[in-house]
Amino acid sequence: MIPLMAALPLLTAFLVVFLDVLKVKRTAIKGVFLLGALLPVPVVLLNWPGSEVVGGWAREAGIEVALTGTNLPFIAGELVLFIFVALYSLYYFDFRDKKTPKVLALLLLLHAGLMGAFIARDFFNFYIYMEIASVSAFALVAFSDEKGSKRAAFRYLMLSLLASYLFVFAMGIIYMETGYLNVELIGKNTVPGRELNTALALAFTSLLLKAGIFPLHSWLPDAHSSAPTPVSAVLSGAVVKAPAYGMILLLSALPSGETFRAAAMGVAVASIFFGIAGALLQRDAKRLLAYHTISQMGYVLLGVGSLNFTGAAYYAMAHSIFKGGLFLAVGSLGRESRKLGEFGYSNAPVMALSVLALSLAIGGIGPLVGAYGKELLYESLSGPWKLAVPLGSIGTLTSFAKLNHHLKRGEAPGMPAAWKLSSLGLALAALLTGVYLGAGVNPRDVLYLSSALLLFALLKRLGVLGWSPRAGPREIGRDVNVLTAVFVMVTIVMILLQGV
Amino acid sequence: MKMSTVVRTTTKMVSPFLVTYAAYLMLYGHVSPGGGFQGGVILAVAVILLITSHGYGKVRRRFHFNWASLIESSAGALLVLLGIAGLAFGAFYSNFLPTEGGIILPFNVIVGLEVGAAFTFVFYILLRWVESD
Repeated sequence: MIPLMAALPLLTAFLVVFLDVLKVKRTAIKGVFLLGALLPVPVVLLNWPGSEVVGGWAREAGIEVALTGTNLPFIAGELVLFIFVALYSLYYFDFRDKKTPKVLALLLLLHAGLMGAFIARDFFNFYIYMEIASVSAFALVAFSDEKGSKRAAFRYLMLSLLASYLFVFAMGIIYMETGYLNVELIGKNTVPGRELNTALALAFTSLLLKAGIFPLHSWLPDAHSSAPTPVSAVLSGAVVKAPAYGMILLLSALPSGETFRAAAMGVAVASIFFGIAGALLQRDAKRLLAYHTISQMGYVLLGVGSLNFTGAAYYAMAHSIFKGGLFLAVGSLGRESRKLGEFGYSNAPVMALSVLALSLAIGGIGPLVGAYGKELLYESLSGPWKLAVPLGSIGTLTSFAKLNHHLKRGEAPGMPAAWKLSSLGLALAALLTGVYLGAGVNPRDVLYLSSALLLFALLKRLGVLGWSPRAGPREIGRDVNVLTAVFVMVTIVMILLQGV
Repeated sequence: MKMSTVVRTTTKMVSPFLVTYAAYLMLYGHVSPGGGFQGGVILAVAVILLITSHGYGKVRRRFHFNWASLIESSAGALLVLLGIAGLAFGAFYSNFLPTEGGIILPFNVIVGLEVGAAFTFVFYILLRWVESD
């Protein structure tokens, strides 16, 4: 029954195209779309926990899928986010346009790809489903009417596919060395050697690129900010989580070196602070949120690098919920202009409440869901690594103090009730999940909040926030080349470190 | 865009045989070399040959754009439904037919239709930019 989680959205994606060609009523297409978003939920509830092999084959020959404690948070976060995004999309896209049913079909394909990637316990299957999600994402980014979206989609496509090819090459090496593609069987059959070390480092680095970790992040802000709002929410909330799950699979299957993991954690910490610094300097609201995705993915990688897979999974779930909600809320408010200071929530109390709650959630303030994830990560870290979590919280809160400071003054444009409902729904989901998981109110949170506000006031006084990074039209070919060079260098360094 | 009489006559003669060969590859893919994907590609080549020799407009009147889309989406849906049908026999995609190769034969036929329609579809869309007659 577990494979149905990927099969049912896939079926509805084909049905949407089918009904569109037959020119049936719009309501039928909308209904099928919502059905596809909702159908994996009963499948999860009926089958948790469990594992099975597709087609009833033996494990050595078949494709294993499972619902375990590690991947359930990923799935839960994705499902909660996607259901609200589906609701939002029905009122966001113009149904008089002939392209809209195709967008819905692509969104369902994205959903199916993510579901399939999260249930996979088999590297090749994981790769295939991650690619389904990625390719749908390229097309969806390019669907945007915004200037520069095609360029962003092209850059995303080139780099992501480059990483995918290296990943599948690494899978080939692993298959050659161990004779299996199943995660657990690989773990039982590893022979320590240079080939497996190289394969692990290669696959891990290519997933780092796909997850948008600094210094391989530069495709991410453009792609995530120029996509249509519901697509941005899914991209930042869920698509970058699939590679993170891949890293968990890799590190649980293959032996990794101490130095290699330390390097991964170092990159994660750099990513956290780089994302915050980048976000503080942004003038565009959606770009600010995209930079925060880089920073938050650093937290997830910190969990993966310290072999705390549960913590990483729960943080990924938390990030899915609050980042998706923030994208939906800020994207709806900034429909006419996304420049900070030109729009806001001063006349929309519901949106104000949602944005404030989600901002506190992303800063890790209890009892919202971010606090639980951060607590789990904090517990398992040792020594100076521990400092990264609270300092990152302060930085994130500072950046969101800036965002809310600008939003407080502006006026909101009119918007459909469904948009408000989606934003509020995700804010409530962040609160309820946090309460359910038992994220308590921590007295330290007051300290974090006050220091963040102080820091924000200080930065504003010094005029740091007035700087803006130069953003001119860049040569796209040169851009891709530079990033490829950086990617190759990081790959080589990681391979050498894994050999140590 | 039309090519010379020689080319047009030749492609008209070759195309039916290509379709026959594609059908053979799909139907015997489980016991001999070949299979759904290969059959589908050759099926698409039969149409693409006609497009290149007779021009896009003429072929499109015979084999409409929507037909390709319809075959493609319905074949995709059927492929998933074939897997779901296996659930009644124990597992997703379980092989429930007692014949030689079981569900591989219908699977190959569906994949062939899917791939053939999708390739034709892609070719149509690319030709929209090249030709405008």
